[in-house]
Amino acid sequence: MTAPGEETKRAGGYAHPVNQVHVDEATFGERLADRVATGIGSWRFLIIQSFLIALWVALNIIGIIGRWDPYPFILLNLCFSLQAAYTGPVLLVANNRSAQLDRLRLEHTAEVEDAAEKMTIQVLEEIQRNTEATVKILERIKDTRSASR
Amino acid sequence: MSALVDNEQVKHTLRRRKLAAERHRHPINQAHHDDRTFGERIADRVAEGIGSWTFLIIQSALITIWISINVFGLFVAHWDPYPFILLNLMLSVQAAYAAPVLMLAGVRQATKDRLTLEHAAKEAEKGEEAIQRILHEIKRNTSLTLEILQELEG
Repeated sequence: MTAPGEETKRAGGYAHPVNQVHVDEATFGERLADRVATGIGSWRFLIIQSFLIALWVALNIIGIIGRWDPYPFILLNLCFSLQAAYTGPVLLVANNRSAQLDRLRLEHTAEVEDAAEKMTIQVLEEIQRNTEATVKILERIKDTRSASR
Repeated sequence: MSALVDNEQVKHTLRRRKLAAERHRHPINQAHHDDRTFGERIADRVAEGIGSWTFLIIQSALITIWISINVFGLFVAHWDPYPFILLNLMLSVQAAYAAPVLMLAGVRQATKDRLTLEHAAKEAEKGEEAIQRILHEIKRNTSLTLEILQELEG
């Protein structure tokens, strides 16, 4: 038995068919997309980015190693645009991935629901058959009783 | 779950539908993907187009070419010299469109979630009705069995 936390953090070797098809059998591109999205969407990324910006601005104000991008930091602006130009599409990639997961999950639900409905009907029919048999037993006993009286 | 359906069979179906978002089995997937309107179809296409490795690779190639030409000045004049202010504008324009497209996709997904929950509620009601019927039938059976017992004892 694994702890619930381990279950959710683990990425691979899943038991649910939807996870198996979506995560375990992900193509190289899909796997990379998941990695990149996880990487950008993390505190580590935000902290490193903040640190780099602070460093960039500080160095260009103090000018110890030459001011390669003086105030108002036009090159830094370009770097930001580049970052945004990539995070947007990556966000959409991640979004498409989760939409795909949602789609597959519903398809799986449909399969299971259909099977469950068939099963329910079978159970009901079996019980009805049982009841009919019980009714016949009761009638038979009553007949024998009245005949012996 | 595994007793009800053949997991390998289901996975085979899921693999097929993972690649092609059409001819779904679940009614919500059918309503949302198979029967989408023209506008919704375009929204999905755009989201799929921008959110793809193809887009990212082409964009990277274009940025590299833009910067290379404007640094080394091959073939044509430097139309956007360092620090590439026009490139900056282009990237901002891209970002200004990517974000709303993302919102569009998000809104569409939210609608689907809502419909999915409504469907789940209806399914749950159906399931409850079936259980009620089964319970009723078993109770009838039990009372008959008890009657038999009484007949035999009395």
